[in-house]
Amino acid sequence: MAAFDYAPAIAVLPLASFVIALVAGRYMPKGGAFAGILATGGSLVLSAWMAFAVAGGDTYNESLYTFVDAGEELSLHLGVLIDPLSAMMLVIVSLVAFLVHVFSLGYMNDEGETGLPRYYAGLGLFSASMLGFVLADNLFMAFMFFEMVGLCSWLLIGFWFRDAAPPSAAKKAFLVTRFGDYFFLVGVVAVFATFGTAAFAGAESFPTIAEEALAGGSEGAGGAAVTTFFGLDPGAWFAVIALLILGGVIGKSAQFPLHTWLPDAMEGPTPVSALIHAATMVAAGVYLVARIYGFYALLPTVLAVVAFVGGFTALFAATMALVKNEIKQVLAYSTISQYGYMMLALGAGGYVAATFHLMTHAFFKALLFLGAGAVIIAMHHGEDMWEMGGLRKKMPVTYWTFLAGSLALAGIFPFAGFWSKDEVLYEALVHGLNDPLLLGAYAMGLAAVFVTGFYTFRMVVLTFHGKPRSDVARDPHGVGWNVKFPLVVLGALAVVAGFLNMAPVAELTGLHVDYLHQWFVGPLEATSLETYEGLIEERAGYEAAELSPLLPAAVSLALALAGAGLAVVLYRGAEPTEHTDRLGSAKRVLASNYYQDEYQVWLAEGLTARVARAADTFDQGIIDGVVNGTGSVSLLSGSRVRRIQTGVVSNYAALLTLGLVALLVVLGVTGGWF
Amino acid sequence: MLIELLIGLCLLGALVVFTLPDRYVPTAALTASLFPLVTSFVMLAGFDASGNAFLGGELAYETTVRWIELAGLTINWHVGLDGISMPLLVLTTVLTTLAILTAWTPIDARRSQFYGLVLFLEAGLLGVFAVLDFFAWLVFWEAVLVPMYLLIGIWGGPRRKYAAIKFFVYTNVATLVLFVGFFALVFGLGDSISSLDMPAIAQALRNDQLGSLGGVAPGTIKLAAFVALFAGFAVKVPLVPFHTWLPDAHVEAPTPVSIVLAGVLLKMGTYAFLRFNFTMLADVARQYAQLIALLAVVSVVYGALLALAQQDLKRIVAYSSISSMGYVLLGLVAYTVYGVGGATFQMISHGLLSGLLFACVGVIYNTTHTRMVGDMSGLADRMPITTGAFVAGAFGYMGLPFMSGFAAEFFVFRGAFGSPTIGSPLLTAVAMFGIVIVAGYLLYAMQRTLFGEFRLDTDYEVGRARLHDAVPLLVLLAFTIAIGSAPDLAFGMIREAVGPLVEGVS
Repeated sequence: MAAFDYAPAIAVLPLASFVIALVAGRYMPKGGAFAGILATGGSLVLSAWMAFAVAGGDTYNESLYTFVDAGEELSLHLGVLIDPLSAMMLVIVSLVAFLVHVFSLGYMNDEGETGLPRYYAGLGLFSASMLGFVLADNLFMAFMFFEMVGLCSWLLIGFWFRDAAPPSAAKKAFLVTRFGDYFFLVGVVAVFATFGTAAFAGAESFPTIAEEALAGGSEGAGGAAVTTFFGLDPGAWFAVIALLILGGVIGKSAQFPLHTWLPDAMEGPTPVSALIHAATMVAAGVYLVARIYGFYALLPTVLAVVAFVGGFTALFAATMALVKNEIKQVLAYSTISQYGYMMLALGAGGYVAATFHLMTHAFFKALLFLGAGAVIIAMHHGEDMWEMGGLRKKMPVTYWTFLAGSLALAGIFPFAGFWSKDEVLYEALVHGLNDPLLLGAYAMGLAAVFVTGFYTFRMVVLTFHGKPRSDVARDPHGVGWNVKFPLVVLGALAVVAGFLNMAPVAELTGLHVDYLHQWFVGPLEATSLETYEGLIEERAGYEAAELSPLLPAAVSLALALAGAGLAVVLYRGAEPTEHTDRLGSAKRVLASNYYQDEYQVWLAEGLTARVARAADTFDQGIIDGVVNGTGSVSLLSGSRVRRIQTGVVSNYAALLTLGLVALLVVLGVTGGWF
Repeated sequence: MLIELLIGLCLLGALVVFTLPDRYVPTAALTASLFPLVTSFVMLAGFDASGNAFLGGELAYETTVRWIELAGLTINWHVGLDGISMPLLVLTTVLTTLAILTAWTPIDARRSQFYGLVLFLEAGLLGVFAVLDFFAWLVFWEAVLVPMYLLIGIWGGPRRKYAAIKFFVYTNVATLVLFVGFFALVFGLGDSISSLDMPAIAQALRNDQLGSLGGVAPGTIKLAAFVALFAGFAVKVPLVPFHTWLPDAHVEAPTPVSIVLAGVLLKMGTYAFLRFNFTMLADVARQYAQLIALLAVVSVVYGALLALAQQDLKRIVAYSSISSMGYVLLGLVAYTVYGVGGATFQMISHGLLSGLLFACVGVIYNTTHTRMVGDMSGLADRMPITTGAFVAGAFGYMGLPFMSGFAAEFFVFRGAFGSPTIGSPLLTAVAMFGIVIVAGYLLYAMQRTLFGEFRLDTDYEVGRARLHDAVPLLVLLAFTIAIGSAPDLAFGMIREAVGPLVEGVS
């Protein structure tokens, strides 16, 4: 199939725009923006072509570049895997990247901003890295691009490097996610050591080998050749590997407890926030779990962890969004919360629900961030919602699209978020009825629906309704077509994307309107929905209870409406007051983000830095002291007997010999070390 | 004859530069260093060897000439290259040329002597990597010390005498120890060897031809010799706790000397580890693999923690070298293709990346006359090229994919994790935590110095880098990206040479 020959170009085009902007951006109009727009536009067209090819029943799974040629077993490759999941994700990523580039024309250029080539180069590299990550056909390549994504986030979050806060936020984002990536890297190395391959799909892929090994184990016969460590049986060792990889996921997808970098990352330009939250960095974590779902589906313990972390994060982050005063902060915590839903779905066996929510969230969250960006332009770069108010009449396009995004985020029928969030909760419920842990995760997810409705509409009402509460809000800065166009496209998607997968309707009426379910069936067997469903049932032992989708959907919709309604009632009117003050000391905890930052800063600066200083003192005082002490003693005695050179040498030699003797004794005593 | 030509060109260049007046010397030295540079690339292009030089492999550019007869032992002039020494040779010529360029700005006194010594140093380093007979090898090994001692002691910072003497004495004592260790082996082998040819000795040792010596059993001699050699090389690497000379030497040494010191000199230690401890005495190394791996992990973590505590940019990079060299040892002791190959690859990669970072720090120092993190901030605006190179180099050092550091570290981790000698992967997993700490101290240093509002306590005019300052940065960056994106450029030949060493280890 010819289409797939062009697959690498999807990632290479934005890479080219990175190079162009970096090298020639300052000689080009708008700092090389148009190169980026053309490149991501090209990627979008190619991605759509891939999606059509996949729709036609084709897939692609090839190694294209030998990174290290070390014989059959040991070589490392870069390749391309195109199946329904990656094709869908390619379209999402390139679409959002394209719109973010267009939006940036309006957002970045109105400020007499310097460093635009650097900005567009960063955007290009970010898009390229994420697209490369999505295309990856093996875990090693995925890790490489995962790290590249981390670099790009550092570059762009810290874009305004002359101020103090952005470089600090960039450092935090990179460090916290690097901490997660450490576990991921151990996981990658462990996958190689265990299976000898890191391929995602095919007969020689690690999920397949893992399944065979477990199947062989349960039948008592020798399964496929795997090496386990620490004397663990394959099932337990695979669970360890899966949890290690999950470390990277938790870092990048900002799940508890590694979510702390994300709110700080709001220091970056707003279009970058849209890109990070909707389509690139944060999405990468969840995408990775979906990508190797054939591996996770084998391991019920790990799935339970994924679900519980997801459910907890969904509620935990949503509560913090309740009390934020800056529009981007509310959105930041909502992102953490929404990715929690995706994790919940993946852990609950709802593969389609998770990827569906990944898609709808990408659209409505990109929309909300870009909408917030438009508001921020209008407010002359003010972000405090209490300074806003009444913007509805001044910026109707922004208002109506932002409202569509908010309805989707809150999960109100029939907007996109309703369908996907509902399916997430439904999957958690039907599988949770047989599993108390899952049920707990479901309960947290359900509670978060109410909270989400509340904070979303608190934000909408405070920003757009009532009377202007500041001079800037009375006379906002206008926005151009390059801002409105992305908003309208994404606004339309936030309304209609849910119709792609109306699973409850399909279930109730028998109509085949659950198109996404059909999309994920076949054509590549290893990553087919049917395979995953089989594994979830047979290997993870999940049982779905028989339950009509109507009642759960009604419950979650009612909660969302209640939350949204309460916020509208409380905050409407010309002069709203802050009702969350009634929470008292609970508000202080929420506003301080449950003191998560404090303990992490303490770990980094209080503990690690102190240990480092202690090590330094020890090094200078004891180790170097011994060396120098010997030296000066010998120099002193040497000068007395005019044997300076030999004096030094003999004393050093004596010291070293003593050390050697000690070492020899240690070796002798401990003969059979370990 | 190309190896002799290579070393000869360096010596000839050194002689010419010594005699020239200071005015012409920078250009002349650069030109002189281009001859060995080009020669080494010609050798790389025509490189055709297979197997390991110490294990009977086919060597490239081999010469054997009978030289001296001494107490029944023949000393030959025996040189040749395999896939391990070839890339190190190229690293040496590349870094020397670039180091000479970075010297243009800061070195303004006694230039002809400075550049002459640098070229002399290059000859010594090339000899260490190319020579296969112990006598000549030791001569080159020691010959490196003299120019290095002078370069630090004459052109160094305020405490240069202290640092230079410390360096000289410490490494010299180490040589004494390793010399004793090696000769214990030579005498133990007795009549089974007829020369000081290192490959012959390696094979005799591996064939268990070591006899007892003065009533001491061969096993004990082997162990004692291993420890002596190990301690001797550990000073050079340096390995914790033999490392304290390194930060002092780096802080006092001028930038170009730091580049060669970190980039090439430290690799003498790891190269010797590989050839002596891990090839000649492989059975001892394998037996104590876990202990050695533990030492490696201590170096990685302890070195990184020390780097975290520093405020002087040069000290940060210096301590980070200790950490990076720990990875080399971890890879060596793993006895897998990726382990030993990755360790060798890390030698190359670290040479390029530490050279890059030292060069960046040098440019900053030449402009601001300070290296203290707290003395400056917001340099990015005024030094865009240096900042870009610093950022790229730092991320390379942190193991950013498509740069050499990632490939090197990933190879080492992959090789060590399932290593048959180390046994448990726990040590490897602990060592891998170094990738988090390294990100901590480099990001912290960059945030404080490069970003934020511009401030400089030393009150110098800060301007863009000059061309001859920028070129070394960009060239090093290009090299790291090239072998990081296509590791087989170097790893291909390394694997050839490593293969026989790890064959059959289980």
